Amino acid sequence: MAEAKHRSFSFQRVFALTVNTLIELTRQKVFYVLLIFALLLIGSSIFMARLTFQQEFQILKDVSLGAMSIFTSLLAIVATARLIPQDIEDRTIYTILAKPVPRFEYVLGKLAGVLLLLAIGTLVMSAMFLVVLYTREQTVLHETLRQMSAAPREQVDDALRAVRSSALNLDILPGVAVIYLKACLLAALTLFVSTFATTNIFTMVVMVFIYFIGHLQATAREYWLQEQSAGWITHALLAFVALLFPDLQTFNLVDDIVAGAAIPFALFAKTAALGIFYTTIYTLLAALVFYGKEL
Amino acid sequence: MIDTAVAVSGLTKIFAVPFHRRPIVAVRDLDLRVQAGEVYGLLGPNGSGKSTTLKIVLGLVSPTRGHTEIFGRDSRLVESREAVGFLPENPYFYKFLTGEETLRFFGKLSGLSGPRLKKRIDELLELVGLTNARDRRLSTYSKGMLQRVGLAQALINEPKLITLDEPTAGVDPAGSREIRNLIVDLKRRGITILLSSHLLAQVQEICDRVGILANGVLVREGQLEELIAIENQTALVLENASDALVTEIEALAGNSNAKLIERRRSTTTLERLFLEVTKDPNKQ
Repeated sequence: MAEAKHRSFSFQRVFALTVNTLIELTRQKVFYVLLIFALLLIGSSIFMARLTFQQEFQILKDVSLGAMSIFTSLLAIVATARLIPQDIEDRTIYTILAKPVPRFEYVLGKLAGVLLLLAIGTLVMSAMFLVVLYTREQTVLHETLRQMSAAPREQVDDALRAVRSSALNLDILPGVAVIYLKACLLAALTLFVSTFATTNIFTMVVMVFIYFIGHLQATAREYWLQEQSAGWITHALLAFVALLFPDLQTFNLVDDIVAGAAIPFALFAKTAALGIFYTTIYTLLAALVFYGKEL
Repeated sequence: MIDTAVAVSGLTKIFAVPFHRRPIVAVRDLDLRVQAGEVYGLLGPNGSGKSTTLKIVLGLVSPTRGHTEIFGRDSRLVESREAVGFLPENPYFYKFLTGEETLRFFGKLSGLSGPRLKKRIDELLELVGLTNARDRRLSTYSKGMLQRVGLAQALINEPKLITLDEPTAGVDPAGSREIRNLIVDLKRRGITILLSSHLLAQVQEICDRVGILANGVLVREGQLEELIAIENQTALVLENASDALVTEIEALAGNSNAKLIERRRSTTTLERLFLEVTKDPNKQ
C-alpha cells in the first residue's frame, strides 16, 4: 500500500470517534432513564389542575423547560465523566492512540459524541414539549370559542390572540437553544476535569460543586459587593471565581420565557456566544491536559 | 530504504510516585535496534520495563531521557504511527461493536474508507479466521477471538511494523498456536515484528533476535540461536537407530576428549500433544 500523506487534522477520524462515542452512550441505561423521566414530567404537565389559561401555560413551560434543563445538565455530566477514564482503564485508548490519531482529535471526537447525544435528547424533549403545548393551546382555543360563541367578533379575536400569545411563541426556541448550550458547557467542563481526575467519583463531586457555585455565584457576588466594604483582595477573589467558574445563572432564560417576555436577540446572541466561548475554552484545556497525560 | 525499523537510544523512563520517597525507574539507558523484517522478542519478568519501552516507542508515553524512532521518524510524532500496528496486552475493545464494525472503526482512524476499507476488512477477517463471526458483537467473542480481532485491527493499515504486547497471554494452546502461525506468516510477508512476552518457549519458536530486560536494563541481546546455544555441546537426533549403533557412537565418544552428557529418547512437546489430542476433526 502506498503511504498516504498524514493529515494533521482529519474530519473522518473525528467523525469516526464521534459516532463511536454516540453509540457507546446510547447503550448506557442512564440516558434512557433520564430521558423517560424528563418526558414523563413534560407529558404529565398536561394533566395539571386547570387554572386560568395564562397560569396553565406558564406552569407548563416552567415545568417542561426546567425538566429539559435538569435532564441535559445531568446527562452532560454523567455521560461525559467516564468517557476518557473508561477508555484508559480498559486500555482501548492504547489501540486508538497507536493509530495516527492526534490526542486533540480524540478529545474532540469524544466531546462531539456527547454534544450529539445532548442534541438528540434536547430535540426529543422539545418535540414532546411543543406537542403538549400545542395540544393544550388547541383545547383552550376550542373552549374559548365555545364559551364566547355569543360574543362580538372582535372580542373573540382578542381572546384567541391572547391564548395564542400565552401558549406557543417563538421565544421558546432561543430558550431551548440556551439550555442546550449550557449542557454543552457542562459537558466540556466535565471532560476537562476528567482529564486530570483520579476517579470518576472525584469528577462527579467536582462537577456538582461547580454546578452549584455556577448558579449561586452571581447572587453571592452581589451580596459581597453590596453588604461589605469590599477591598481589592475581595474584588480580586470574586473576579477569579467569576473567571474560573461559569455563571450558569446567565443561561437561565426560562423565567423570562415563562413570564411571556420577549427574548431580545442581543441577549440571546450574547448568551450563546458566552456558552460557545466557555465550551471552546474548556475543550482546549481538556486537550492541553490530555496531551501531557501519561497513559 | 531504511534498514532499522525501531531505534532506541539512551532511553530512560522515571515515574514519579506521589508520597513515595523514591521515584520508579522503569527503563534505564536502553539502547536497542530492531532491523526491518525481523521478529524481535523483548523479554523480561513482570515489571522489567517491557511494556513501558513499547509504549514509549509508540509515543503513548514520553521518555524522561533518550530518543526513539520508527523507520527514521521520531516516535513522538503522530505521523510515525502511519506505519505501525499495535496489539496491547489484554486488549479491550468496544464490546457493543461487531468484529466487522471494530475493524471499520480502526480502519477509519487509520485513514481508510470506502471500498478499499471494505476489501481490507474482508481480507483480514479471512486471515485471522473470523469471517463467520464478523457480525457477532465482541461481547460474544472468546479470549482467543478477541486476540485475533486485535491482531486484525493492528494490521488494518498494512503496517510495516507490528508491536505485540503479550500476544498469547490468557489464550488457550490452540488459539496461541494460531496466533503464532499468523506471526510467522507476517514475517514471511516482510513485516517487522516487535513482541514482548514472558512465555519463553513460544518466543523461542518465532523470534530471530531477543533482548532480555531486567529491572529496566538490557542485560542480554542477540541472535536467538547464538544466545541459547551451549558452545561446547552438540546434539544428534537419530531415527531408526539400532541399539548397537548407539552403543558404538557412545564408545567413539568415550575414546575421545568428548563426554557423553545425556542419552534419552526424543520427546515431543506438551503443547503438540495437547493440540493433537484436542483437535476437533470437524473444525476447518
